[in-house]
Amino acid sequence: MADALIEVDNLYVSFAAEHGRLLRAVDGVTFQVAEGEVIGLVGESGCGKTTIAKCIAGRIAPTSGTVRFEGRELGLKRAAQDRRAIQMVFQDPYSSLNPRMTIRQVLSELLRVHRLVARVGIEERCVQLMALVGLPRDALDGLPSQFSGGQRQRIAIARALAVEPRVIIADEPVSALDVSVQATILRLFEDLRSRLGLTVVFISHNLAVVRHLSDRLAVMYLGRIVEEGDRESVFRDPRHPYTRALLASAPRLHQVELVRPMVKGEPPSPIDIPTGCSFHPRCPRAAEVCSSDKPRLERVSTSAAHLAACHFRDETSPEAVQGQ
Amino acid sequence: MTPILEVEGLVVEMRRHGVAFRAVDDASFSLERGGALAIVGESGCGKSLTLRAIMGLLPNGGRITSGRVVIDGVTLGTAAGGRGRGHSQRQRMSIVFQDALSALNPVATVGNQIAEAPRHVLGLGRSASRERALELLHLVGIPDPERRYRAYPHELSGGTRQRIMIAIALSSDPAILLCDEPTTALDVTIQTQILALLAELRAERGLSLVFVTHDLGVVSQVAERLAVMYTGRLVETGTTAAVLATPRHPYTAGMLAAAPDVDTPEREPLAIPGSLPDPLRLPSGCTFHPRCRFATPECVTTDVRLEPVGPDHEAACLHSDELATPRAAGNRG
Amino acid sequence: MNAAITPSVALIEPEHEVARRPSFKSRALHNRTFMAGAVMITTIVALVLLAPVIGRYSPVGQDLLHTLSGPSALHWLGTDELGRDTWSRLLYGGRTDLQVGVLAVIFPFCFGVFIGTVCGYFGGRLDSTVMRIVDVVLAFPFYVLIIALVFFVGVGTHGIYIAFALTDWVVYARMTRSGTMVARTLDWVAAAEGGGLSRARVLWRHILPNTVTQAIVYSMSDIVIVILAVVTLGYLGLGIQPPAPDWGSMITDGQNFLQTDQWMAIMPGVAVVFTGIALSLLGDGLADILRPE
Repeated sequence: MADALIEVDNLYVSFAAEHGRLLRAVDGVTFQVAEGEVIGLVGESGCGKTTIAKCIAGRIAPTSGTVRFEGRELGLKRAAQDRRAIQMVFQDPYSSLNPRMTIRQVLSELLRVHRLVARVGIEERCVQLMALVGLPRDALDGLPSQFSGGQRQRIAIARALAVEPRVIIADEPVSALDVSVQATILRLFEDLRSRLGLTVVFISHNLAVVRHLSDRLAVMYLGRIVEEGDRESVFRDPRHPYTRALLASAPRLHQVELVRPMVKGEPPSPIDIPTGCSFHPRCPRAAEVCSSDKPRLERVSTSAAHLAACHFRDETSPEAVQGQ
Repeated sequence: MTPILEVEGLVVEMRRHGVAFRAVDDASFSLERGGALAIVGESGCGKSLTLRAIMGLLPNGGRITSGRVVIDGVTLGTAAGGRGRGHSQRQRMSIVFQDALSALNPVATVGNQIAEAPRHVLGLGRSASRERALELLHLVGIPDPERRYRAYPHELSGGTRQRIMIAIALSSDPAILLCDEPTTALDVTIQTQILALLAELRAERGLSLVFVTHDLGVVSQVAERLAVMYTGRLVETGTTAAVLATPRHPYTAGMLAAAPDVDTPEREPLAIPGSLPDPLRLPSGCTFHPRCRFATPECVTTDVRLEPVGPDHEAACLHSDELATPRAAGNRG
Repeated sequence: MNAAITPSVALIEPEHEVARRPSFKSRALHNRTFMAGAVMITTIVALVLLAPVIGRYSPVGQDLLHTLSGPSALHWLGTDELGRDTWSRLLYGGRTDLQVGVLAVIFPFCFGVFIGTVCGYFGGRLDSTVMRIVDVVLAFPFYVLIIALVFFVGVGTHGIYIAFALTDWVVYARMTRSGTMVARTLDWVAAAEGGGLSRARVLWRHILPNTVTQAIVYSMSDIVIVILAVVTLGYLGLGIQPPAPDWGSMITDGQNFLQTDQWMAIMPGVAVVFTGIALSLLGDGLADILRPE
């Protein structure tokens, strides 16, 4: 993929844990994001998806590996230009806004500092930004405490957009919101993407949300990508047993009966990553080879753009057989 | 046969900034022996308070101002304190909370926490209550109970902690298990395991279940009956299958249409316009009318009540007929 | 890109009304604790400022013919052993004590908040060095340290200023440092930094307004602590030097006559307690009002 806007190459991030051990939050991750694409990063808590987001946004430094933007390597220290280009939207709209600044103060400060519009145009642009996220003009005078969760998330998005970014990294942007307002934020992301041509890295544990929004999908487990591909091929024909388990466990409105748990146990701690395939202790398909050989993320036989890190990636899933 | 749990006209008052308001307003429902009821709603709708009121665990400032809670034919004293009349009936219920880590005592081993009720409430001896705790650990699917007995809560993973919570809840041998969003903090693969455990407990021990959640997606897996709550009022009740297939209240329909579905990505999730009203300034009439696309002037003035709309299906809406066909409900896109 | 930023009409929802938060003034007026403290402190300040008008006598003027006279129409609170009017001395003494209290807190407040903010935000070697100094200062018993310093730099008000400047900043530094360390981990700080704002701007314009309120609230009770220290030092003869009036030395003088003329010691004592309560109420009220939600 020559025209990738963001390239994450062999990224490792580890933190010091108790007793001098290492917590490997991100354990060798490589992926690219093309300009204008929405990539969904899916996985359960502790799988390393937020750590990757922080590396791309320049909040933490990788232990090894690189993050490139437009072919240039980006580290912790970045030019204001590069920092502006990649903006984050956080999960908790209650801690992501400064409680003592009005919305106008927040937005106009960014516009002024980066000289994005002429001084006289600041007010107008603030109003435009509010309109862009579907909030009325008066909202500019409000303090964060005056807004509901959904409104705050819109404000956080307006703040990210104020600096005219190329990439938005959204870290579980709807998980903290009530279902009835989640949809408005999802709509907003779709709308912004089509109107502004934004590239979005969308992080979520909710497969339904990701399926709805993203073009491409990367499923993570214990710091690694276990499956990657375009949305439909991953959802219709998942090749990694973990992806299948996630898909089977996703809450469904019209589920007729109880879902039989497909995997046993819980994810081990990232301090103690199992040998071989890290999923093998929980995997229903595990064989002897799985505990000794670490599977690489490789193409599945049917599609060049669909990768899975499983020794049995070319065994078609029972669901897919049924569907055909 | 009498229902195991009956709630009649329950009103719970809370205070905010010194002003009292009805956080639960005239809630009535019943639960068959061995049955399961899910109460669904968004944050602040009163679903958790309903559960706590039944359990006699209302937070400070909250009190039951009217209504009855009947357990197995015996009416509980509704004084907010919980002690006094009906105390022994209350022991027939146990509650499981969302956040197991803060609900467990961090400085006691989980084994001792499970053994506490058998020893001090049921009056078993030291070794008998230990036996009982080990049995319960086994029952909730914890491998190697002997070793886990001595573990502290922080040494365990989220799913195991929730299993411990369930074991503690079962330790006083309740007939009814009240669950307050027990799987919300868990990952989906673990959520499935806990839901399966609850189903197993129901089947094997005849436990009755009240399951409070915000997630309509898990309801059909745990409960055959469903009650939807909005601003402290029940707006729709019925069998889970009927309510989810043909919701007859616009709020239920709206919730169903708002959630993206993993199987039908082409269906556009539709938000319910507006936001939850301030509980101190609830709209008149049907409290949902400002957000409702079916609203007419009557909705502003009429106090709607739950009315039958089908076999074993009630909705509190003047326009429930307009929602009678699944198409109009818009939940299938 | 600019052209693309136009309103998306479909997204605007009519129901978005913004709940208004009452202004600072209205929140203050509705806060009983704050108002009680404010009324009391305003009364005290007005009285001591008007001392030349309502004091009637010079605070140092002796009248050896009317010593130790009880309260009367001429001398509302009586006179002391040198015939000085207690009411006047109380007012002028309050002037000195309040002034010293406020002035002595200003430097520790500014320096402590500054150093605490910088340490909390940047951490590292600077932080550990400063925190070791803080530990050393805190390890000394406060009064022993102050008394030693007053001996060293000399008695009187400037001794008190220097003593407080050297010791009191550590409280503000620790308080602000921990507040800043918490703020540093919050998403809104990450967002401000990620928005390309300079660290200095994030620190002073975003974090400081959130952490300084705690210091402001504390400074109210700190003024009380300084006044009490001045009174204590005055009592020990190390504070404000006679004949200048001060509540501390008035209590010292009065205790010799506790058996016969209780007013002499009790009135300055009451003044200290009253001021203390006023400032505490003010501080508690401010804490409520300044809380963002």
